[in-house]
Amino acid sequence: MNRNRLIDISSIAALVIILFLVPVLIKNVYWVSVLALVGINILLASSLRTIKLLDHISLGHVGFTLIGAYGSALLVMKVGLPFWAALVIAGLMAGVLALALGYPFLKVKGMYFAILTLLTAETLRLVAYHWKSLTGGTYGLTHIPPPNPLTIPGVGTISFDAVHSYYYIILVVVLLSLFIIYKLEHSHVSFKWQAIRDADNLAQSVGINVAWYKMVNFAIACFFAGIAGALFAHYQHNLSADFTSRFGVWTSLYLLVYIVVGGEHKFAGPIIGTLIITLVSEFARPLGEYQPMIIGALAIFVVLLLPGGIIGLPNRFKLWYRKLLKQTRRVQGSV
Amino acid sequence: MDLPAQVWLQAVANGFAIGWLYVLMALGLTFMLSMMGILQLAHGEIYMIGAYIVYYLSVPWGLDLYAAVFLSMVIMAVLGLFLEKFLFRPVQGQILPPIIVSIGLTLILTSGAVVGFGLFERSIPRLAHGSFEFLGSAVPKDRIIAVVFAVALLLLVYLFLKRSRYGQAMVASAQNRESAFLRGIDPNQMSRLAFLIACALAAAGGALAGSILELTPFMGTQPLVKGVVIIVLGGMGSLLGATVGGIILGLLDGVLPVIFSPVISSVAPLIIVIIVLLVRPQGLFGHE
Repeated sequence: MNRNRLIDISSIAALVIILFLVPVLIKNVYWVSVLALVGINILLASSLRTIKLLDHISLGHVGFTLIGAYGSALLVMKVGLPFWAALVIAGLMAGVLALALGYPFLKVKGMYFAILTLLTAETLRLVAYHWKSLTGGTYGLTHIPPPNPLTIPGVGTISFDAVHSYYYIILVVVLLSLFIIYKLEHSHVSFKWQAIRDADNLAQSVGINVAWYKMVNFAIACFFAGIAGALFAHYQHNLSADFTSRFGVWTSLYLLVYIVVGGEHKFAGPIIGTLIITLVSEFARPLGEYQPMIIGALAIFVVLLLPGGIIGLPNRFKLWYRKLLKQTRRVQGSV
Repeated sequence: MDLPAQVWLQAVANGFAIGWLYVLMALGLTFMLSMMGILQLAHGEIYMIGAYIVYYLSVPWGLDLYAAVFLSMVIMAVLGLFLEKFLFRPVQGQILPPIIVSIGLTLILTSGAVVGFGLFERSIPRLAHGSFEFLGSAVPKDRIIAVVFAVALLLLVYLFLKRSRYGQAMVASAQNRESAFLRGIDPNQMSRLAFLIACALAAAGGALAGSILELTPFMGTQPLVKGVVIIVLGGMGSLLGATVGGIILGLLDGVLPVIFSPVISSVAPLIIVIIVLLVRPQGLFGHE
């Protein structure tokens, strides 16, 4: 193990320890709940970036979040499953739906895929909005229970009805999911995805089942979207699917903004992007109606002037600094 | 199901009128997509602002309604030129960046509209009052005028593409950008034209929508979603596809809620699109 890797691992470990200490250090409920939502959004943005590894763009990631959210809430409320089982099954539901839809959707060109996912998300939202007997329709689904209290022998019982304790569930699930997504991106599957992205005909000719790998990629991303949705449902305790709710078109589009502002080529990009945009929008909250304008301007600014996103900034500075150094040397040399 | 003929006719007339609005939206989107490869998600906001301009010109300023619609189309066309030059041309040819630019633009325009125009719903005066007698039932006149106006615009676009030098250049550029470039067709000029026409059509669509439905800063999202779906359904770059796709979606919107439950009517478009794609991946009238 070389030194760089050691530094990486220890800094990540330090970060994780800090994240675990957050509820102890920050007593303010508001900021802990902001962080909890950031965690859910990071999982959404990172899983969306998995689709981007194939150069496909989904404009409807939130549709699968909706499946996860309603799926898990209904499994707990109507079937009586425990939270953890419902969480995994809800994720699987989203994944299986994506696998089924992936077959017709991934047959067509990239831009069509984006549009079809957008249509899917809107359709799912409208179904949830109108299906009164199942989802509560326009009133929404209310009184979604928090996860069952966890009893650790010798320590005591932890109940998850408060933000400060539910935060840990989100933290553990999101970290675990991110770890899996990261491992996938650095596994042999990812090489095949890259091959498909760069030259799908060539990939097909060396025996990669292009359609299947594309579908699996989409299904994995949507599985994690479903998990994020389930986390959201039991955190929020009520769900509604009207046009302005979290399940509207806008959430999916914001996720893309997170990815690009952070940096689409790096694993940490969506994470940084989500954090920065959430911070900016929190601090811009007093500006009221102007708040989305600031996010919009930031997005356009990054795309036009900082290709590579905010995560590419240190490299940019390094290059710029080296150039400057070279120039000053040249000037000194000529004098 | 036994529904009175009046209800049926009303549903079909509404669906037809709304379908033509979707056609205007989809035409502009398909122009920008086939000329520049850009999915312009802020097109719904162009439509919304076009509608508000018509409202401000015609209601507080008292301008003639048709003159207001024309002026609004001109203003939005000019705005389209600016958008093309400063926002979309720099990111042309990439996949994600143009989408992000259009999302950013949507955020800016929507919140700008909330600040500038306010949240209360308004509407543009009706294009006409009263109704026609048709098959023994009444069809509102303003719906028919909206359809006639949209069809006239579509015919203009058709004639432009088939008969004029620039229109033919656009068709050539859409079919093969490089070959068209070798024949002396400037791709940037074609992109400018695409944005100009697209934004003018969106403004017209917004004006018609504003006289049938209400004006709100968020009125653009729904037609945008419909517009992009029509592109998939009809086939990218196909005028006929956009028209047929738009009318199909409009009629589904108008008629389905009358017959079926809202759940079925909201799933139907997705299922129809999936079936079409399984049979013809390039869309109803698209070319490979």
